[in-house]
Amino acid sequence: MTEAAALPLSGDALGPPERLHPLYLLTGLGKSLKGAWGLLAAVAVLGSQERWLLVALIGIGFVVASIGSLFLKWMKLEYRVGADEIRIDSGWLSRTSRAIPFDRVTDVDLEQSPVHRLFGLARVRLETGASAGSKEEDGVLDTISLDRAEALRDHIRARRRGEAMAPAVEATVDTPPLYAMDIGRLATAGLFNFSLAVIAGLFGVTQTFGDVLGFDPFERSFWIGLLARAEPLQKLVVAHQIVAILAGTIVLVLLGIGTGLVRTALREYGFRLDRTETGLRRRRGLLTLTDVTIPAKRVQAAILANGPIRNGFGWWVVKLQSLAMDGRKGDHVVAPLAREEEAASVLQSLHWPIAPEASSWQRVSRAFIGSYAAAIGPPMILPLAVPFLGSAGLSVVAMLPFLGVMAILWLIAAPVLIVARWMGWRHTRYALDGDTLFVETGWWRHRRRILPLRKIQSIDLTENFWSRAFGICTLRLGVAGGGGFADHHVPALSRQEAQLLRSRLLAQ
Amino acid sequence: MTVDIIPADLQPVEPSYLNALRLQAAIFWVPVFLGVLVLDRVLLAETPFGGLLPAVIGLIGLSGVAIAPDRIYRRLGYAIDGRLLRTVRGWLFHTDTVVPFVRVQHIDVTRGPVDKIFGTASLVVHTAGTHNSVVVLPGLSPERAAEIRDAIRGEIRADAE
Repeated sequence: MTEAAALPLSGDALGPPERLHPLYLLTGLGKSLKGAWGLLAAVAVLGSQERWLLVALIGIGFVVASIGSLFLKWMKLEYRVGADEIRIDSGWLSRTSRAIPFDRVTDVDLEQSPVHRLFGLARVRLETGASAGSKEEDGVLDTISLDRAEALRDHIRARRRGEAMAPAVEATVDTPPLYAMDIGRLATAGLFNFSLAVIAGLFGVTQTFGDVLGFDPFERSFWIGLLARAEPLQKLVVAHQIVAILAGTIVLVLLGIGTGLVRTALREYGFRLDRTETGLRRRRGLLTLTDVTIPAKRVQAAILANGPIRNGFGWWVVKLQSLAMDGRKGDHVVAPLAREEEAASVLQSLHWPIAPEASSWQRVSRAFIGSYAAAIGPPMILPLAVPFLGSAGLSVVAMLPFLGVMAILWLIAAPVLIVARWMGWRHTRYALDGDTLFVETGWWRHRRRILPLRKIQSIDLTENFWSRAFGICTLRLGVAGGGGFADHHVPALSRQEAQLLRSRLLAQ
Repeated sequence: MTVDIIPADLQPVEPSYLNALRLQAAIFWVPVFLGVLVLDRVLLAETPFGGLLPAVIGLIGLSGVAIAPDRIYRRLGYAIDGRLLRTVRGWLFHTDTVVPFVRVQHIDVTRGPVDKIFGTASLVVHTAGTHNSVVVLPGLSPERAAEIRDAIRGEIRADAE
């Protein structure tokens, strides 16, 4: 290749150039199809007009163009594995030579879609954490043989242990997993993944397009048609609109639960977490298998998450915040549904505690509720005052009906929000035990954050004009990695408390 | 407890930074005011509101140039000891940031055109944190900024765990 001359490489330390597996032409096709929604829509429209010749032409043109561009990519992408780094040369018009030192690789992710599995291939992603937040991925080898991928991973792992090029031994095959999910646990996790958003979305769709699709479970005609065979039920529906609404609700709830189950099963099937010499290894997936290694040293924080329902049953979702993100989706889930003791054993393998001594928990100031209520409470006085203003108040509402609707909504929502805030306060507490900070926040989205002090990068003590009036401030902790919205903070501390906590955090 | 490990002796930044702030405010407000003035003459001259908008914007702009920089300057302070950098700023939105030197990834000393006129520089400290990964301390003299940079550089560790 002439590119090696164009980009002078210190080639002696690198292995021979390798290409992706030729079946990349097949595995890449699915991806370009995913990106061609506009084309699919055009085909659908033309199909409905029965202009099949045009459809066929578009289809053939698309396949030819995709395979052509994939072939070009395949021709122009080469990678070489060295003792200390991997070099990936790619691109046709604008050529890129990317060097990734193995010292900086945080995660090695292996992913196998159904097509990959059929042919014994894998997609390798090297995460360095450098592009956290941006779309571009660090180092991706889209399709190489599974053997090569595993060899590459072992090579990087061995390199990280400091015994470069030593034959890596798979140490985890025989040891029992740190955490695994059986079918029962998977089903339970699926039930908890019941999504209100899906239900709301389905409701919107049935109400908007239900007439066109002939699927609106809130309409009597839908059930009358469906229940044509079961006459008593049909009579019931004919008699009462409420039955149709009830049945529609049940259908949507069942759909919501079903979606949760399917999504969970697809993602978490066969979940298995192992402790390797250097970190944790997670394997999961039903159709698309993923195999992710997380080095223990790079874990920045542990996050235990649940909500009111999971909390009531004593379940946690265990996540680890690492320098790299979990396939662009935030923190690494290392246990989708775990009891406290299971979560503890996962963290124990990293030598992290899961909870402080029970007595060291401290609550935050009640001004957490007060400052919030004082902000959203007072507007409630306005609608409440309307009856006392008599005809003047009523005429204002009559003139501006929108204002009246807003006022009533506010009257309903504000107390609910304040109560939720109060529940949130009850679930907010923090503790400093040894060299670990524990912060629990939230009720609906309850989180326990476990933060070793040595991972804290910076500390912000913030207050604004509003919180100052209530004598509280917030301690924000800068921690590496995680998503853009990941934010570790202790809310509503008195100034003195916050300063004391800050100096204790820095004293380590 | 050991409250005294946080350096408490906040120092003000260079007095000339006050003028830099004033100039920056003027650079922002003068075009805004002129734009509003033109808008007023073209569109609102015939209405009863003619002249109101420029007056209001003019007042806000004047206070932004004359009063606000003074306050910003007064609230801005920093403290430094062997292992910590502390910056304090703002009143309406008050922030008090502490960065341990060992956590710093890299450091910039930057000077914009306004800085060059008034002989100031900004120290920009980058940490590995996602939140608050960039801590800016403006209004230092270039020598002082370089001095702090060198003090921090001696403490930077090679690898973030």
